[in-house]
Parts: sequence; C-alpha cells; structure tokens
Amino acid sequence: MKKLIALLLAMVMVFALAACGQQTAPAGEQPAAEQPAAEQPAGEIVINFPSIWVGTDSKAEYMGKLIEAFNEENAGAIKVVVEEQTDYQAYRDKIRTTITTGSAPDICILDTTFDIKAYAESGKFMDLTPYLEAGWGDTFTDGAFDAWSVDGKVSILPFESAVFTPIYNTEILAAAGWDHFPATYDEFFQMAEDVKAAGYNVMGQMAGDNAWSSMLWYSLIVEAIGGKDVYANGLSDPAFVEAAKVLKEMYNYTFDGAVSATAGDVNGHFIARDTAIYLNGPWWIANFYKEDNAVDGKLLADVCEVAVNPGYGEGKGVGGLVTTVQGFLAAAKQDDPAKEAAVVKFLQYVTDPAHVSELALSSGAMFFVKYTPSPDTNVISQKVTEVANSAEFTILHVNGAFPTAFSTEFPAAVSALVLGEVDEQGFVDMLQTAIDNAA
Amino acid sequence: MKPTRSDRSALAAFMAPALIIMLVFFVIPVIYVVVVSVLKWNGISTATFTDIQNFAKLFKDKAFVRSVTNNVIWALVAGFIQVPLAMVMAIILSRKPAGWKFFRTVYFFPQVISGIALATLWRAIYNADTGLLNGLLRSIGLGDLARDWLGTVDTAFPAVLIYWVFYVGYYMVIMMADITTIDSSYYEAATIDGASDFQQAIYITIPLIKRTSLLTCVTLASVLGLRQFEQVYMLTNGGPANRTSTMVLYMYKKLQDTNYGMASASAVILIIVGVIFIVCIRALFNIGNDEVRAQKKMRRAVK
Repeated sequence: MKKLIALLLAMVMVFALAACGQQTAPAGEQPAAEQPAAEQPAGEIVINFPSIWVGTDSKAEYMGKLIEAFNEENAGAIKVVVEEQTDYQAYRDKIRTTITTGSAPDICILDTTFDIKAYAESGKFMDLTPYLEAGWGDTFTDGAFDAWSVDGKVSILPFESAVFTPIYNTEILAAAGWDHFPATYDEFFQMAEDVKAAGYNVMGQMAGDNAWSSMLWYSLIVEAIGGKDVYANGLSDPAFVEAAKVLKEMYNYTFDGAVSATAGDVNGHFIARDTAIYLNGPWWIANFYKEDNAVDGKLLADVCEVAVNPGYGEGKGVGGLVTTVQGFLAAAKQDDPAKEAAVVKFLQYVTDPAHVSELALSSGAMFFVKYTPSPDTNVISQKVTEVANSAEFTILHVNGAFPTAFSTEFPAAVSALVLGEVDEQGFVDMLQTAIDNAA
Repeated sequence: MKPTRSDRSALAAFMAPALIIMLVFFVIPVIYVVVVSVLKWNGISTATFTDIQNFAKLFKDKAFVRSVTNNVIWALVAGFIQVPLAMVMAIILSRKPAGWKFFRTVYFFPQVISGIALATLWRAIYNADTGLLNGLLRSIGLGDLARDWLGTVDTAFPAVLIYWVFYVGYYMVIMMADITTIDSSYYEAATIDGASDFQQAIYITIPLIKRTSLLTCVTLASVLGLRQFEQVYMLTNGGPANRTSTMVLYMYKKLQDTNYGMASASAVILIIVGVIFIVCIRALFNIGNDEVRAQKKMRRAVK
C-alpha cells in the first residue's frame, strides 16, 4: 500500500511539473503582445514592439504619443504593443537573443553594436525594398541605405542618425583666456593647458563601462588624421596609432578617475560646469535646456557653443564629420501578408516626415528622413545641424565602422593604453586581435 | 537485503522528476555548449566546424587567462578566507553573547540586498573624485593614499574582491544552524575538563561541522566565486585593462560579439575548472577517502 501511495505521489509530481510548462504566466510577466489577447477584437493584428525609446529616453514622450495615435487611428485593425525596456545593454542582449533563437520581435530597434550586415543577410527580417521602391524610400535622405543594403535589398532601415561634434562651455574657455574654439589639435592642447591652469577639466574621458566618450574622441581624432578613407584599410592605417597618441594625451586633461569613469561621470562634470568640452550625440541636447541643469538661472545652453572637430597637422580630415546610425528599425519576416502590411504601415507612420519633425523637435535627435525642422528647434540643435550640413564629408563613428568586437574590446584597450600597459601600437593590436577572434 | 522489483519501480518513479529536470535543464544544455564550443557561429549564419580553434584562441587571449586566474583567486578567497571568517562569526554568535541577535541580523542583512545594488553602492564609495573612501582618507590626512581604486591596475581587483569577502552572513547563518544542533553535553564535559572557549571551538565545534555545514559553505562559496559576474560587471566591466575580468564576464562579452563558439568554449573551461575545484574540495575534506574506508570497513564487518 505504501509503495502504491509513493508511486501515486511520484506520478502527481511528474504531472504537476509537466503542467508547469503550460501554466499561464502571471499577467505582469506575459509578453506584452500577448497581454491584450483576451480583449483583442476579432481580426485585430497585434504588433509586438520591444522599445528602448521609453522611460527617460529623449524620444520616449513623443514616441509614446505617436504609438497611441497610431493605435487610435487603427483601432480594431492594428494594435502596436510596446514592451518597455529602459536598459540599453539589456535591450541589446534581449534582441540579440530573440533573433538568434528565431523569435525576433515584429519590430525592434538595432544599433551599430549589432552586426547589421550579417543581420540583413540572415533573411530573418522583412524585405522592405518593394515598399521603399513604391515611394516610401523618397522620404529618406539620399544614400541612407547605401551602406546597409545587401544585394540591393533593404531589410533594416537606418532611422535615427547622429553627428558628433564638440560643444564647449564659453565661460570656462573665457576664464582660460580663449574666445574661440581651437581650429587645430596643436592649438587644442595649448587651450587645454590654459584651461587646466585655470582650474578646470578640459574634457570628460571615460574608460569604464563602454568607454563611450573616449571612443567618440578617438573617432574624431581618427577622422582628423585619416580623413574620409581612413577605414579603407581597416586598423592598419597609421592614423589609428597616431590617434591613440592624441587620445592618451587627452587623459592628462580630464577629471580624476577617468579610467574607471562612466557616462554618468562625464555628463555630471559637464553639467557641474567644471569641464570645458562635451562630446556626445544630438540626443543629449535636450539636457542643455533642462532647468535642473541651470546654474544661477542660466541654462547650460546659455553658456555653450557648438564647435567643429579641429584639424590635425598634416591630417586629411579638415571639413569632415563623424556620424553614425544611432537607431535602425527592423521588422521580423512575416508569414501573414496582412501582418506584414500592418507592420509596414506602422513603420511608414513612424517615419512620416511630419512625425519625424515633431520627434526631432521634442528629442533633439536627428534622423535619416527628409523633414522640415520645426521653427521651434532649439539653438544648439540648429547649430549642430549647420555643422552637419556644412561638412565636406562624413565618416562613421568607429563603433559602426568595425565589428562589434572592436567596441567590446575598446574599454580594455583604452585603459591599458592610458595606464601604460600597452603602447599605441599595442592598443591598436588589442583591437585588431579582438576583431580577428570574432571573425 | 536486495531491493525488490517493486522497490526499484518506486525508486525510479521518485527519481524520475529530478532526473528529467536535470536532463532538460543541465545535461542537454551542457552537451549543447560543448557542441557549440567547436563551432564558428554568430547566431545567424550557418555554423562551421572549427576543431579546437576556439580553445586555442582562448588560451592565446590574455584577457581569458586573466579571467581564469581571477576566478581561481576569487574561489580560493571565498573558500579559505570568506568562509573561515563566517565560521568564526558563527562560532562567536552561537555562544550567544550580548546582542547576538542584533549582530546576526546586521551580518546577514547584505544578503537580502541585490548584488547589483551593493555593487552600485561600492562604486560610489570607490569613486576617485567624489567617493567616500578617498574623502575619508583625505579627512584623516592620508590624502596621498587616495586614488582611482577601480581604475588602477594594482588596486582594481583587490577593491572588487575585498568588500565582498566581508559579506559573510549567508555562510554564517548556515553554520550557526549547524552549530546549534551540536549536543551541549560535549561543551559541558569540555568545560568541566577546563577547556577554554577557543579550545572548545577548535576541538569540538569545528570537527563536528567540518563534514556538514563547513564543507557545504566552502563548496558553495568557491562555486559562487567561479560564477562571479554582476559585481564585476557593475563595478568595472572587467577593467582596467581586463584586470578584473572573470570567466562569466568574458563569456558575456563574447556573446555580445555574437561569437558563440568562443563563448561556449569559455563555458566549457568554466565547467572544467568548477569540476576540478569540487574534486579538490572533496579531497581536502577527505570525503572520498572516508567513504571508501567506510565501505571497506562495512564489507569486512559483513564478512
């Protein structure tokens, strides 16, 4: 009898465990796309959109309104359900995993840390070429797809662009006796000496986290030295070693603890107005106008000016600009033509020039869409746009120009360089080895 | 007495759920990892067989060698510094001195806070510019010692490791629970014989918990040391110059690079290191030998 009971108990356990596999998850843990299933009107197409443009992201507010408006306009037919993810790295990890496991979301946002070409070649994403050729493509800036199409087909849309140009605090430069931003890197380091002597940091550098600021500065220096064809021969171009020397020198003019610093430290110092120069993408411009960052009633924007990347000795980069694709829109391949049409409809809605104009106004971000900037666009954004428009050529930010392994290795390489663990050539070798290992 | 057929059926039925779970969630993934470790695969394109190239690349990569070294140090520190510290605290608090409940709570408290939160807290403490530690040093006239604790080659790894060593509450509670089960008559007899508290701890407490909670804690602490990730990720992301990297962080970075082959190869090495550690710990605690001796003794007795 005891054995029979034992056997029954064991069977109950097995069935209970088996049932766990089918058990409905609590509402809060359900994929957002599945949440409204119970209330979903018959025939309504639900589009699952894990988004990073939420929370405190500068595009969050307008994107939220845009999606709400789209859902209202298409009530009963299409519903876009946003899965909010506020942590950028967690978002990337999630998207990467879902794509690898063959369960890519209906729409997602990619950036240059993804191997975009490989993803485009994978066939896991919707071919948007027919829709773009039918007229939608005219709304995008000229050549927007050139670098990202595969065999003439576009499956991953470059959407948010970024240009990187220094912005400086005029009061700090004035305190150091400078009424203009240096035009060359020689002059830049003279200015740096004066700013340092005046008791300020010159720029924020960071080798902690993803070393974002240092990577941006490295891109600018590489551009100044190597010019528009600097990536033609990969890292073997001497500009990369030369640029490493300049980057290392810059660490003499940043705040204490830059080797372990993160973006928060860099931003914090500039906001605290103890650092003269700031370098980041246009999405950060909104912070120049935040009351929270004002001192004595003066907004950060009131004391800042937009500069251009200085030239470098005999360098080839005068007049150049560093840019990147900050956000791609990608849509998973759909078996259902109706759902494919719904996804395209939403993408067309988001990339509509009128909506993009509003999005640019509210966020300060820039886009690969031909839109008329709002007359209410803030001054810093306007000046950044002027710099972008006057550029003679553009090159990609290093993190977009090389495979992901470059960016992953960069923090280790730059900290090794700054701490004297490797020389400039060793720094470049570390990056090259990382790329080779991933190849 | 040999188990009957029906005994065997009952045993199998009882073991089946655990075995199925083990198979699905451990054995199959491990086999999968081993298979992927010999492939070149970016998660999208077709995978290609690469022999042992991924392993060769791993051992040529200074960052990986540093990660393995750091993990071994971490596991050793966990097993042989953190756990003994916890044991000392457990022995002291199990004597129930004044305020022992308060201290037990205080020591255990960090265990209920997430590792991420603690790492964030310590990141602020170590901050070169505005950190509490440098501020304290400056305020007591030791400003020369102030530095970028997480950004200096010599101090980064000790800084990451050292605060964690003092979070002994988890192991302390396990050992305290074990110590309370020791028959008080041992201590009474020892007291009558004139043994000091220290001698009682050395000759009664430690030998009686050695094979139970102490072994468990050393094993747990070492294995957790080998699995370290979030703390390093949050504090340094493996920097500066990979000085604080660990195997799991290294693996994570390879996954970010969509280099699934090398990520899996590093996972295989992690499993091997883990097995070596567990075997060494068992050998250290004489577990296998004792079992063999006990079995031999039993056989002799039966004969």
